[in-house]
Amino acid sequence: MSAAIRATGLTKSYGSKLVLDSLDLEVDEGSIFGFLGPNGAGKTTTLRLTTGLARATSGSIEVLGHNAQAPGNDVRSAIGFLPDVPAFYEWMTAPEFLFFVGGLFGMARTTLQERSDMLLDLAGLTGVTTRIGGYSRGMKQRLGIAQALINAPRLLLLDEPTSALDPMGRKDVLDMVASLRGRTTVFFSTHILSDVERVCDTVAILDKGCLVAHAPIDELKARYGKEKVVVEVTDHADDLAAAFAQRAWATAVARGALGSIEITVTDLVAARHDIPAIVAARGSGLARLEAGEISLEEVFVELVGGER
Amino acid sequence: MNAALVFARKEAVEIVRTWRIWVLPAIILFFAITAPLLARFTPEIVGAVAGDQLGGISLPPGTSLDAYGQWIKNLSQITLFALIIIYGGIISSETSSGTAILVLTKPMSRVAFVVVKAVIHSLFLAVLALVGALVAWALTAAVFGDAPAGPVWSSTLVWLVLGVFSIALMTFFSALIPSAAGAAGAGMGAFVLLAIAALWKPLSDHSPAGLAGQAAALAAGKAVPDLLWPVVVSLGAAVAFVAAAALLFRRREL
Repeated sequence: MSAAIRATGLTKSYGSKLVLDSLDLEVDEGSIFGFLGPNGAGKTTTLRLTTGLARATSGSIEVLGHNAQAPGNDVRSAIGFLPDVPAFYEWMTAPEFLFFVGGLFGMARTTLQERSDMLLDLAGLTGVTTRIGGYSRGMKQRLGIAQALINAPRLLLLDEPTSALDPMGRKDVLDMVASLRGRTTVFFSTHILSDVERVCDTVAILDKGCLVAHAPIDELKARYGKEKVVVEVTDHADDLAAAFAQRAWATAVARGALGSIEITVTDLVAARHDIPAIVAARGSGLARLEAGEISLEEVFVELVGGER
Repeated sequence: MNAALVFARKEAVEIVRTWRIWVLPAIILFFAITAPLLARFTPEIVGAVAGDQLGGISLPPGTSLDAYGQWIKNLSQITLFALIIIYGGIISSETSSGTAILVLTKPMSRVAFVVVKAVIHSLFLAVLALVGALVAWALTAAVFGDAPAGPVWSSTLVWLVLGVFSIALMTFFSALIPSAAGAAGAGMGAFVLLAIAALWKPLSDHSPAGLAGQAAALAAGKAVPDLLWPVVVSLGAAVAFVAAAALLFRRREL
């Protein structure tokens, strides 16, 4: 599989401030790639370098096989880009803006009309006749996504696409991103972990300009996540939590929602074997015993949250 | 359609649908209308205001050439300063607002972005100057009954060269300086320097520094024999400023 984006030793500094530190990154064509990191990690800088809006201090970055630092029209014709805070000509209406950007791609009027109608519908802006200056931030964000898709891009670059959206808007955008799987490479920067977990198949985590992880999500969870067991009992939950904590296989015990007990374990087989016996010995009943899912959030916190 | 043409169309529609359609046209039309009226009634106004203080001195009646002189003087001073302020953000307003990012990540070159802006706004100024000259000429004919065409059109065209040079200069400053106010300040400084340079005749005769004076001389019906040099040098400098702006903008991080 060829790489839609390939960064090699990509470094960016502003004066003495190092924003991106020798980033090596490869995004496979056709993948939905989550680019995670806390605020100020260097995500937007990476996207600015990818789109040719900024110049690397050193290193290189290729987009669809071309040098992104000197992008020609062949690269720009194949990408769609949504910046973190999209800005529009506020005197235009949404259809006018889509016709304008479609015109920049040299699209034929009939194709543009069809595509514009479809994207306005996707953005929930069909029939909205007011000028963009009167739009809410969410409406602008949705229009920003629509304009990024006007040319049916091979590579879609989205910088924090869901940050300004309400839950329904977020769901629509994530569904739309998921629907592009296999047809368009989506490079999706965000700090909203649940969004990445929901649609992305591969993830990279950036912290203070350095890449701290880069792998398929499942592999990342397996690599960094400790195993977890969730137990629900009928009685004596506090006593049982204390008893679990004394076992060699338990590294941490916490009380979860609805009185459940969440145990981080080093040996899942031993834990599954011992827990029913301990519960029975305390005269309680076992209502639930299951291996808990390690969330990406836990991986993220483990990788970048320790010093915060 | 070519991306540059699409962008040019956007610039033209933006002029019509935003404040730009009101400010510069209003200034130019105001001066086109008031110049003949002021030239015609200034002697009466001064006489009425001064009363006996003029000690029997009577001001000569205004002429059509006075009207043209007033028109060109206002263009060369107030309108030129308005141009500098209005076009301080011709490039930087799009970079600071973020609209340039959505355009320049499409198949639209940065060079075309700069050149299209300079060309469209120069054309807009040309239309305004020519409409203004037409209004000033027609009103002068109505007020004075006699309005020779040569002085008003030739002086307006020479001023237009200065106006196009100003837009090119502001395009350069706006590509160089991220703040519109900063670029306007630099533009003001440049025009003060040009006014000082105009005091030295060789420079005045061969550069944009002398264009305002030459336009005023033409409006007064005087012959200006060596007009080609300052016009050619000014237009050449305008092209050079736009090219320099395009090169600067191409290297700029957004």
